[in-house]
Amino acid sequence: MLTSSIDTWQSELASIVGQANIFASTTDIDGVRPEITVAPASAEETAAVLRVANDNGLCVVPAGGMTKQGMGDAMPHIDILLSTWRLDQVLHYDPGDLTFGVGAGVTLGHVQRTLAPHKQFLPFDAMQSARATVGGLLATNAHGPLKHFYGGVRDYCIGIEFATADGKVVKGGGRVVKNVAGYDLMKLLIGSFGTLGVITSANFKVFPLPQQTRTFVGNFSELREALDFRDVVRKSALTPLCLEIASPQAQEYFGQAPEARNPDLYAPRAQVDVRPQWNVYVRAAGSERVLERYRQELGVTKEVAGREEAELWQWISDFELNVIARHHNAMIIYVDVPATDVGSAIAAAVKAALDNSCMTAVLGRAAAGAVVVAIIPLAVGPPSAMHYANAASALRAALPRDASAVVARCPLEAKTRFNVWGTSPTNTVAMRAVREAMDPRGTLNRGRFVIS
Amino acid sequence: MRAADLAKKLRKIAGKDAVLDRREDLMLYEYDGGVDRGTPELVCFPQTTQQVSEILQLATKSGVPIVPRGAGTGLSGGSIARKGGIVLGFSRMNKILEIDIENQRAVVQPGVVNLDLTKAVEKRGFYFAPDPSSQKACTIGGNVAENSGGPHTLANGVTVNHVTGLEVVLPDGRIIELGGKANDACGYDLTGFFVGSEGTLGIATKITVRLSKLPEHVATLLAIYNTVDDAANSVVALTAACITPAALEMLDGWTLRTVEAATPAGYPLDSAAVLLIELEGMREQVEEDADAVIAICQQVGAREVRRAVNETERQRLWMGRKNAFGAVGRISPSYYVQDGVIPRTKIPQTLAHIESVSQKYGLQIGNIFHAGDGNLHPLILFDPRSKEQTANTLAAGKEILEYCISVGGSITGEHGVGMEKMDVMPMMFSEESIEVMTRLRNVFNPAGTLNPQKLLPASRSCRETFNPGHPSLNANEAGA
Repeated sequence: MLTSSIDTWQSELASIVGQANIFASTTDIDGVRPEITVAPASAEETAAVLRVANDNGLCVVPAGGMTKQGMGDAMPHIDILLSTWRLDQVLHYDPGDLTFGVGAGVTLGHVQRTLAPHKQFLPFDAMQSARATVGGLLATNAHGPLKHFYGGVRDYCIGIEFATADGKVVKGGGRVVKNVAGYDLMKLLIGSFGTLGVITSANFKVFPLPQQTRTFVGNFSELREALDFRDVVRKSALTPLCLEIASPQAQEYFGQAPEARNPDLYAPRAQVDVRPQWNVYVRAAGSERVLERYRQELGVTKEVAGREEAELWQWISDFELNVIARHHNAMIIYVDVPATDVGSAIAAAVKAALDNSCMTAVLGRAAAGAVVVAIIPLAVGPPSAMHYANAASALRAALPRDASAVVARCPLEAKTRFNVWGTSPTNTVAMRAVREAMDPRGTLNRGRFVIS
Repeated sequence: MRAADLAKKLRKIAGKDAVLDRREDLMLYEYDGGVDRGTPELVCFPQTTQQVSEILQLATKSGVPIVPRGAGTGLSGGSIARKGGIVLGFSRMNKILEIDIENQRAVVQPGVVNLDLTKAVEKRGFYFAPDPSSQKACTIGGNVAENSGGPHTLANGVTVNHVTGLEVVLPDGRIIELGGKANDACGYDLTGFFVGSEGTLGIATKITVRLSKLPEHVATLLAIYNTVDDAANSVVALTAACITPAALEMLDGWTLRTVEAATPAGYPLDSAAVLLIELEGMREQVEEDADAVIAICQQVGAREVRRAVNETERQRLWMGRKNAFGAVGRISPSYYVQDGVIPRTKIPQTLAHIESVSQKYGLQIGNIFHAGDGNLHPLILFDPRSKEQTANTLAAGKEILEYCISVGGSITGEHGVGMEKMDVMPMMFSEESIEVMTRLRNVFNPAGTLNPQKLLPASRSCRETFNPGHPSLNANEAGA
């Protein structure tokens, strides 16, 4: 692009958001450095920025806390990183109504800190709550273990505001917990990865914070036994908040990395138990009587409470982050399957990894059918791009038609060689037509999403 | 194309007995549970997805409007053929195609009656959670179109929270799949977007729904009040105490007396209001919550809190609530039911406002509603033979909706926009938002063949050429 035209659109943007809110980008997305970062302070400014970008044929990447920018196909060029960090207001909170509205740039941690004094919370325990923003979490349809009881964010987001590529400010839903006026634009925007509009604020119904919880842990030597235990819980009258399964390897990431030992000096004090154990975590809320009922029915010996319990669930929420911190070249796949396919999906992941010289660590919502698979290359002989592609492909081949397996992270060299999104059970022609109507010039996240 | 030619072609597609074209038959399809009317030129009953596809192709090619219809229990005119054309009835596509207990899913055709699905799975310990009052008659296809609610959606969510996959026929005849049995799918959530689109995007011919586990224990309470204010304040107090009942319904004194006269449910005739509160879940939890609810209601001024001691008593309490609309139908030539939503903390002042509207227009307004989620159903009684009363009724309804919006609410909680509230959409949504919604409709339904003039307000030029529907005798038993 000619320097003069860059000057023109950049000065246009400066007149919208102020020179102080346009700066040089400091982070790469898949190895590409955006030309500039722009931070609008309102929905109207966001819309105005998008209008300029759209008119000039620019490519915009909306960004919140940058925790999921590794997702999607690599883009060859990015003009504007549109940061939502200045959309940081709590817009309304009425504890008596259990409803809450915030700007897209508010972090999940801030949301919970605002609600906690009223003994309320958003049942949203996605990873990296200190950095992840509401806008980003909605756009990526993020979730955590609490999805088991409370459902996904689509179930408690009651209103949304976003700016379209052609510079309109649009609202869907509202501020009340029940509302069917107009099309459900919340559903459309959730999980759309910024390709239909830039979310500027959202309203939620919030929930009472459980006063007391306890986590019951079942250990099993086989995956099958762990799933049988899951089914016992599913078929019982118990209503746990979380029902999580963790492969033996996944549990290695529930804590700091072990310190490197000097093999010449190290000797274990006690015998090390090396039998693999699949864990199922059942998190219950309620009075002592309720917890006693869980204790009786589950018949497991291990119980975690208090601070230890809070930490355990923090590690579980941040599982993917911990894997990546230790293995920069790991591949993370989000698998969504019907409940009965959880077992075969996990087994397929383990086999796909082994066949491609990798280990696996698997963690997930055992009954809701949302599993995070980490494919971790063995230290010996770094894998080629084909290993990643083959592992993802082998896993996908084992899944039913209406399942999804999205590669959320993998090394860039591998990413360009295969389809990170996989197939969708939803008609792609229809999805493409929706995208075409909302962003005909491909201004938003051009070439990044499953349909592009 | 002339109706006779069209009828011939439809018979060829769907069968000789699948088309109605005589005036007396068509008249049965000119109304739904709401106040509007419109006579179709033909009614057709397809039996397969393929037939639906062929019919839609034919209609699109001929420029004939298509209006899908389940059981006609809708309350916002969603299934009214306001521009004539073909009403597509789904009573012959009423099969439960699959019950997958292990995955807690069922795959059904759109004509399956809501309650029939629950009946088919309750022996195995499951049910379909959305429970509109018309659940004995209304179809799941209609529930999907309207994103229907019901008393028990307070804790369990509305229809969209219970649908994970759809097969949809678009106006051009294309058959597309959206989602499946998994909770989430890669790509846009077009399943969620489609639910509640009121038949303006496509026609669902196969629906994958979530089956919920029947609760182990249920407690049904009836809190009785001497003033409406105390009842309203109890709702506020219960919400503030962070108790989420499965259902929390309110009936005011006038309504409960009307109900008692038709369906003796055991509501005390001298009370000013009652709350019907249901708690579900694990036995221990339900018992603890029931104690807490009783304590809170008494603290806020309940005269008495009764508890159903067995299933018969429970059913009787619910019978009154679910038959309430029918009960009102016995004493008034017609009624107009509103569906506004307000923040729950605003219930006391909203009820006061409704009372002032009632006095202003000299109309009897009964209140029966989903108090727990602030979804009001004021019933405005009127005689459609009186032009003045009819006009006043519509004006009173609009005033109530305006008030709902002014306190941060919505024009519809579960009945849908349909043709009834199309023109008040701009009260909630900006021109830009409506433009984007229109753009999205045009992706799927560009010619407006499918359910024309519904949900989205017409542009100014169209509005002038169109006569608004007239409230007419309300002959339904359906309610919300």
